[in-house]
Amino acid sequence: MSQMLKREVVYAITGIVTVIMFLEYFFFPESQAWAEIIRTWSVIIYNISLGLGAVRLTMAHSMNVQRRRENWAFSGVLLAGLAIMLLTGLAGYFMTGQQTNNAIYNWLFNWVYTPLGATLYPITGFYIFSAAYRAFRARNIDAALMLIAGCFVILSNAPVGEALWIGFATVGEWFRFTGQVPGMRTFALVGTLGMIAYGFRALLGKERGFYAGGEE
Amino acid sequence: MAIIVTGRLMTFILMVLTFIVMYYYMAINKEEEYNIRTLPAMTAIPEAVGRAAEMGQPVFWTPGISGSLNDSTQGPQVLAAISLLEYLTEECAKAGVELAAYCPLPDAMPLVEETMRTAYLRQGKPEEFNVEQIVFISGQSAYLSGVLGYFQRAKPASNILVGGFYYEAVVIGEAGNTIGAMQIGGTNNTHQMPFLVATCDYMLLAEELFAAGASISRNRDELGSIKGEDIMKLILAAIIGVGFLLGAAGITIVADALGW
Amino acid sequence: MGFSLANIDRRVFYWILFIALMVPFLNPIGFPIKIAENTRDLYEGITEDSVEPGDVWVINFGYGVSAWPECHPGVTVCAKALLREGAHVILMGPHTDVELTYKHLLDTAKEDFDAATYGEDYVFLGYITGGESAIAQLASNMRSVYPTDHFATQLDDIPMMQDVNTWHDVSGVLSSDTGDWGGYFLTQWQEPYGVPMAQIGIAMLGSTGIPRWLAGNYFGMSVGSRGGAELEMLIGEPGDAIIAMDSISVSHLLIVIAVIVANVGLLLERGRRS
Repeated sequence: MSQMLKREVVYAITGIVTVIMFLEYFFFPESQAWAEIIRTWSVIIYNISLGLGAVRLTMAHSMNVQRRRENWAFSGVLLAGLAIMLLTGLAGYFMTGQQTNNAIYNWLFNWVYTPLGATLYPITGFYIFSAAYRAFRARNIDAALMLIAGCFVILSNAPVGEALWIGFATVGEWFRFTGQVPGMRTFALVGTLGMIAYGFRALLGKERGFYAGGEE
Repeated sequence: MAIIVTGRLMTFILMVLTFIVMYYYMAINKEEEYNIRTLPAMTAIPEAVGRAAEMGQPVFWTPGISGSLNDSTQGPQVLAAISLLEYLTEECAKAGVELAAYCPLPDAMPLVEETMRTAYLRQGKPEEFNVEQIVFISGQSAYLSGVLGYFQRAKPASNILVGGFYYEAVVIGEAGNTIGAMQIGGTNNTHQMPFLVATCDYMLLAEELFAAGASISRNRDELGSIKGEDIMKLILAAIIGVGFLLGAAGITIVADALGW
Repeated sequence: MGFSLANIDRRVFYWILFIALMVPFLNPIGFPIKIAENTRDLYEGITEDSVEPGDVWVINFGYGVSAWPECHPGVTVCAKALLREGAHVILMGPHTDVELTYKHLLDTAKEDFDAATYGEDYVFLGYITGGESAIAQLASNMRSVYPTDHFATQLDDIPMMQDVNTWHDVSGVLSSDTGDWGGYFLTQWQEPYGVPMAQIGIAMLGSTGIPRWLAGNYFGMSVGSRGGAELEMLIGEPGDAIIAMDSISVSHLLIVIAVIVANVGLLLERGRRS
C-alpha cells in the first residue's frame, strides 16, 4: 500500500505542476501568482537538496573516520574543512548581517578553494590536445573528411590561420556558420522531441527511471 | 481577445499534436507491433560489464555535472541517465561486479540510491547493495578531481558517461582512455557531443539517450512514445521542407504561421 | 616496438604545449584579428542607437574564476560599453565565486566603475541558486529571488532598483556562460517575453550559440577568447584577450601539427604492415 501511495503521490504532484505551468505559459501573457509559488518552491526544494548533500557527505566521511578505513585522514580533512567553512560563514552572517563576511572564510574561499578549482579548468586544454591527437586519424573517408574540416575550423579560430592563408579563415567560417549549423539544429530538434517524449512517459507513469524503479 | 497568448498558438498546437500522436501509439493503437533499431551503446553494456567481470575491476557510472533536476534541458538527461543506471545495476548485480556511481547532483542522490537499491533487490541480492558505492562530490572541479583520482586508484574496466555534461566530458573521457577503459557515452548537450564521440567507444546521441530505456525493456508503451516521436519528426520535417520551398519562392506563409 | 609517430606518449605533447604557450607571452607576435559578424552584432547591440540612457541591462556572470580568461574580457568590454551609454547595469551570477568575478570586473573596468555610482548606475545582486526555475522567477518577480543585493541592502532602498522588478523593466540581458545559463535566459526571458539577449560564451558553446544567433534568438554572440579579443578591438582598448591571442594561435597550430604527425604515423604504420 505504501509503495503504491508513493507512486501515486509522485504522479499527482508531477501532473498538477505540469498542468499549472502549461496553463500559465499558454493562457496568460504575464506570470501568475499561483505559478510563481510553484517556481519558488522549486528553488527552495533545490536548495534543501544542497543541505541533503552536505548531510550525506558528512555521514559517509564520518563513517570512514570512525572505522579507520583506507585514506581516513582525507575524510577527516574534509570534515574539518566543512565544519570550518560552515561555522565561519555562519559567524560572518550572524555577526555582520552580510553574507559570508568573515575574514577566515573569505581567505579560505579566495585563496584556497577558488585557486584549486581554477586549476582544474586548464586541464581541459591539455586533454583536448591528446584527444585530438588520438581521435583525428584518417582511418577511412569519413574520418579523413572530418579531420580536414576540423583543421580548417581550428585554424579559422586562431589569428595564425588567417596569417598563414586566408583560405583557412574563409573555409573555416563556412564550416562554423553554415556547415555545422544544420547538424546542430537537427540535434536540438530531435533532442527536444526526445525530452518531450520522456516527459510524456514520465507524466503517464510509464518511465521507470523517473520513479526510481518504482514500477512492480 | 485571443485565448492562447499571442506568439504561442503554434507552439500550443504542436505540443497538443505531439501528445495526441504519442498517446495514440502508446495507448490506442494496440494492433501494431513496434520495433526500434538496436542501439549499439545499449547492447554494449552487457559487454562492458562482462569485461569488468573478467578483469576483476569495477564499472563506473556518472551523469555529469548537468545542473539540477529542475532544469528543462539538463533534468531529463539526468533522469534518463538514472533509467540507464537501473539497467546497468541489474547487469552488475547479475555478474557480481562492483559498480561505482559518482553523482555531483544533490537533488538526484535520493533517486540514484533508490534506483540502485531496487535493482539489487530485483536481482535477489539486496545485501550486496552498499550505499557507499554512491559517491557525492559537489562542485564541478572537486567532482572532476574525485573522478580522476578514482580512475587512477581503482582503474575501472568500463565507464558509462551518460547525462548532461559540460567541460568534464573531455577530461573524464580522455582520462578513461588513459587507463584503457571501455567507454559508453551519451548526452543531449550538443557542445559536448563531439568530445564524447572522440573519447568513447559507443555513444548515445541526443534522443537516443532518452530512448535507451525503451530499447532494452521493449516495453510497448515506451516504444509507442518513440514511434509517436518519430511521426512528429516526419511532420516537422515536412513543415520545414514545405516552408523552405515556399520561402525560396518568396512565399512566407509557413514561416509566418510558425510564429503565431 | 620502437618509436612510432602514431603512438607518442601524450606527456610529451603536454610538455611541448606547456612550454610553447609561454613563449608568446614573453615575445608577443601580434597576428591581425578579423572581427566576426556575430561579435560585431553583439557590440552594435549594446552601443549607440541600441541603448538609451537609463536603460536597465542584466549581466549574468555565468562563469567562475577558472573561465576568466575566456569570458571576462568580453564582459569587461560590454560593461564598459553599457556604462558609457548611460545604461544601468544589474550584475548577478550562479557561481559561488561570483563576488570574486564582480571585484575583478571593478578592477578590469576600473575607470568606468569609478566614474559610476553604486546603486544608481550599477548594482551587484550576488549569487543566485535554483537553476532555471530561479531565472524564470527572476523574470516575473526579482524581489522573490533577490530581496536584497549582495551587501544586504533591500532592493527598495537602491535607487536604480526602485522601479525594476520584472522583465518589463529590463532592456536586455547579456549572459556570459561556461554552462548554459544563456539557454535558461533564452527559454525564460527571450522566447516568452522577447527581451533582447546575447551570449558571451566559452569557445565550446560556439556550436550551440551560433545557430541561436543565426535564428535571431541572440542579437549577438561572442565566442571564447577570440570573441573577447574582437570586442576589445571594437571598443579600441586592447586587453587580456588580445594578449592571449598569440598563445591561442600557438596552441591551435600545435593541435594541427599533432594531428598531422598522428596521421603521418598512421600512414607509415600501414606502409610497414603492407
